[in-house]
Amino acid sequence: MRANRRSFIKYASLAAAGNLAGLRPFGTLNALASTTPDYKALVCIFLFGGNDANNMIVPFDTSGYNSYASLRGPLALAQNTLLPLTPLPNFALHPSLTDIQTLFNSGNAALVANVGTLVAPMTRAQYLAGQTVPSNLFSHPDQQLEWQNAAASGATPTGWAGRMADLLTPSYNPSATIPMITSVDGDTLFCNGASSTPVSVSPGNLGGATCSEGSECTARQTAAQALLTFNSGVSLVTADDHITSNAYSYAQILTAATQSVPPLATVFPAGGLGAQLQQIAQIIQVRAALGVQRQIFFAGIGNFDTHAGQLVAQSALLASISPAIAAFYQATQEMGIQDSVTSFTMSDFSRTFQPNSNTGSDHAWGSHHIVVGGAVKGGQMYGKFPTLALAGPDDSGSNGRWVPSTASSQYAATLAQWFGVPVAQLSTVLPNIGNFTVNNLGFV
Amino acid sequence: MNRFGRYLVLLGGLLAVAGCSGGGSVVSTPQISVSIVGPGSTRLLATGQFTATVANSANQAVTWQVNSVTGGNAASGTISASGLYTAPAALPSSGSVTVSAIAQASPSTIGQVTEAIWNPTPTVTNVTATQVGVSLNYQLVVTGTGFVPTSAIQVGGTSITTTFVSATELQGTTTVTGGATSVAVAVANPNPGASASSAFSARITYATVTATTAARLLDQATFGPTVADIQHVQQVGVTTFLAEQYAAPATTLAAIPTSPLPAVCLANNNPAPCAESEWWTAAITGSDQLRQRVAFALAQMFVVSTLSVPGQSIPQYHNALVNDAFSNFSTILKDVTISPAMGDYLNMLNSAKPPTGQIANENFARENMQLFTIGLYLMNQDGSLQTDGSGNPILAYTQAQVQAFARAYTGWTFSLPGGLPPTKFAGTNNYNDPMAPFDAQHDTTAKTLLNGTTLPAGQTTVQDLNGALANLFNHPNTGPFVCKQLIQHLVTSTPSPAYVARIAAVFANNGSGVRGDMQAVITAILTDTEARAGDTNASFDGGHLREPVLFITAMIRGLNFTNTDANGSYYGLSGQSAKLNEQPYRANSVFNFFPPEYVIPATTLNAPEFGIENTATAVLRLTMADAIVNNKISGFRVDLSNTSTLGVMAATPGTLVDYLGTLLMHSQMPASMRTGIVNAITPLTSNAQRARVATYLIITSSQYKIIH
Repeated sequence: MRANRRSFIKYASLAAAGNLAGLRPFGTLNALASTTPDYKALVCIFLFGGNDANNMIVPFDTSGYNSYASLRGPLALAQNTLLPLTPLPNFALHPSLTDIQTLFNSGNAALVANVGTLVAPMTRAQYLAGQTVPSNLFSHPDQQLEWQNAAASGATPTGWAGRMADLLTPSYNPSATIPMITSVDGDTLFCNGASSTPVSVSPGNLGGATCSEGSECTARQTAAQALLTFNSGVSLVTADDHITSNAYSYAQILTAATQSVPPLATVFPAGGLGAQLQQIAQIIQVRAALGVQRQIFFAGIGNFDTHAGQLVAQSALLASISPAIAAFYQATQEMGIQDSVTSFTMSDFSRTFQPNSNTGSDHAWGSHHIVVGGAVKGGQMYGKFPTLALAGPDDSGSNGRWVPSTASSQYAATLAQWFGVPVAQLSTVLPNIGNFTVNNLGFV
Repeated sequence: MNRFGRYLVLLGGLLAVAGCSGGGSVVSTPQISVSIVGPGSTRLLATGQFTATVANSANQAVTWQVNSVTGGNAASGTISASGLYTAPAALPSSGSVTVSAIAQASPSTIGQVTEAIWNPTPTVTNVTATQVGVSLNYQLVVTGTGFVPTSAIQVGGTSITTTFVSATELQGTTTVTGGATSVAVAVANPNPGASASSAFSARITYATVTATTAARLLDQATFGPTVADIQHVQQVGVTTFLAEQYAAPATTLAAIPTSPLPAVCLANNNPAPCAESEWWTAAITGSDQLRQRVAFALAQMFVVSTLSVPGQSIPQYHNALVNDAFSNFSTILKDVTISPAMGDYLNMLNSAKPPTGQIANENFARENMQLFTIGLYLMNQDGSLQTDGSGNPILAYTQAQVQAFARAYTGWTFSLPGGLPPTKFAGTNNYNDPMAPFDAQHDTTAKTLLNGTTLPAGQTTVQDLNGALANLFNHPNTGPFVCKQLIQHLVTSTPSPAYVARIAAVFANNGSGVRGDMQAVITAILTDTEARAGDTNASFDGGHLREPVLFITAMIRGLNFTNTDANGSYYGLSGQSAKLNEQPYRANSVFNFFPPEYVIPATTLNAPEFGIENTATAVLRLTMADAIVNNKISGFRVDLSNTSTLGVMAATPGTLVDYLGTLLMHSQMPASMRTGIVNAITPLTSNAQRARVATYLIITSSQYKIIH
């Protein structure tokens, strides 16, 4: 097991060397990919804390920008720092998103405007009239959970990825050795199904536990695993027995699968989302050994809750995710499966368009999102960009908390259908999708 | 005073003449005179024999008086016909009485003597010592004789405040060191006639408990049992242990200078490692274990994180939590709110009165309700949710109320060093003192808060803050919301609604009409039948996952690790716990390392700590366990060699496993587990390896990981 950790480190350095040589054909890997032609993977990148989408996609035409700048006040980004979008001249990206700009302009990234949690379609008037909304709008945990479970309340036991795994595992991953879902960012509701639970992986720690007892390591592990089989009558002991037993098992499987595979050449940004996406790429790389045709991954990065000092903070955050997402896309190209892997962002909510007195913004609702992948019909913005007016037609109140014009369920349904969920079974995965006329936004 | 009494002889005729005129007289025959001999002093209620001699008369008979009353009376004492004086029950104000003898042969001839009245000599025949509530104070009931209102109970030679009940009973209260089995009690009476009883050894008895109860309590109330602590708690019992902990002074963290940084964090060029090192040190070595443990729970409810606030802010914040841990919840709420750490973390610091086109920062306003006091929904006192007519939960607050609180919290900024008032808004950083109000930046418009409370327009920064916090403190949700989380952190993830309700009732009223009494709440949590059920039933369904920090502290304390870092740094422990997603004062967000409502996937078990227990962290914990038993913890060393305590025991595997079972598993290791471990280590030829492997097998078992 330690040998594997060493090899992982060695591979990482090889990968760096490889990148210096630039992109090159990867015949061996493409051959590996061809053994699982129907492979598809969804990668969720969760921006915890509520990303201020108002500064992620900014109107770029003169009147649109001027209107934006006057209301955003101290939070307004200078127009000459924004990144133009060739196919979408009236909008521009936050200056930190250079890699996303490149992906968008090359048609491998799409933007989806004003997406949020909804039970049913809603207007400002309907909101103000008290029509049913998802519970606890503006609350971090509730909105995170509702994005992840596609339900009207966070208090449900399963997420929409977990339900997809419940539905699709028998047909796509009948002989897989690990679950359909892998989280590289700990436990989230998104990943939990009724019958399936995810495997959690700590980025860079794919191997099993360290043992310092030399020749007695096997005996120690056998004894330790045996202790997990005694029935104690204490529920939490039983629950932890289950998790720990799975941990031993998955570690062994992942170690065996990755041991003899050469590393990817793509260099990822160190730490944070880069390390998470690198870990995901490594697991995708050994998909054939794991016996999976469908995989869902969960990655996440925090600190988007920019109530104060937002300009500096968000700039740094977006600058950290943009190259990580680009590196991951590059890794899928390296593996020749860029058309089989679709990455997408989710976040608690967007933030008030109106600034607060700490050069920050507060919890809001509808937000813009990014979808990346070879299968993505990129270079376009989907959905309806909100009217940026306080107490305007898209404001839920008077501070610029946009009523979503597209439901997170519709966003999810689009991804789910690409992934293989039949239309007839969409409502199993997304219970409220029937309330919306459109169940496929067409971005992938 | 003359022991034999002063006596005075009065000549009757002289007395009479002297009383009539100043003229001379002629002595023709010897005058009759009366002389008295008495004891000179008599103690209260004691007797003293007086004798009178009538000179120049054959008739020696006299009539005895006390203070001119024949035969005396109760106030001044009585005297018999034979001159036997009985002192009164209470001291006369003059301190003495006059005893007179009137010659019957010459009724005008009187002998008089002043008799001093002394306090009695006290004796102590019995002392009972009864513990007062959950404290180290004992009420002493002293019975004996010779007690007067000025009597003083003396404990160990020192007088204590004494209540006089009767001549045979005194009461007082004294503090007894936990574990003492007796106190020496005497009674001293003051002058006149000061005297003291001999000492009486009053027994101090304890409700001793089993090793299981002791170890379980220590796992709930400290950072991990040690052999010595288990023995101590066994001896003094639950109540005295808690009382000792309530009495223990707070171990506080030292302020961290900005420049130069202390050696511990200089290499990192970041003050956070210093804060963490100090925190680990206090948690592991502080004698105020319960205080630190409660503060740890509070720090996970009122979360601040050095991911976005400077490490310098942590000592002031932690010190507020440890100082307030046993105070009132309203005090905690206030001190947290005005701490620069929380101010910085949730942006109440420098939250200014919003100019036109801007709004007040809602961050603290929202999370203070959602996370720190009342939660999202109206609750019943047992923590369950109230529902409306349609069965839906009822929101506890609206967005408009969030914004009202946000405006109420404007106008706070750094104080000047020493907590002095600031001269400007958003001035120099000062993380060592609470924030200060700055009225010019306070939004003075009226605010409509919860339950119909309104803060009128024109109030000061402080008035609005106090009004807002009082509104939250007095909200019916606050008791169950706070108490359930405290239970989850200390005792069990899954308290019954009845358990929550019992504690919430104590929060609402500590028995003396006080709301929010934390000491009463903590006592109730730890002594509740549901907390103690596992003492006698090892499979009682409850408990909680030993979160990574508690796992590590339990090891360092229980296995007697010693610090070997050149600077005495404990920061190496953060390197271990961080891998398992827990690092002191460094949570990912205000939602803590794990959320209180976390449900284990594919179960219905609400178990917060499992939010960071998954197939990835479970493996990492195995690696950490290997590091612990193989001396790979940076800056620490443990002796598990052949000659160590465990190594020596390992010669007999069963002895070793039983010892570890007492230390680590509350003496409740299942028989099958014991057998499994004994069988696993018996083939090992190195006693050191036996010690390592046995410890590893225990601490990686779910039986150990779940504190239950």
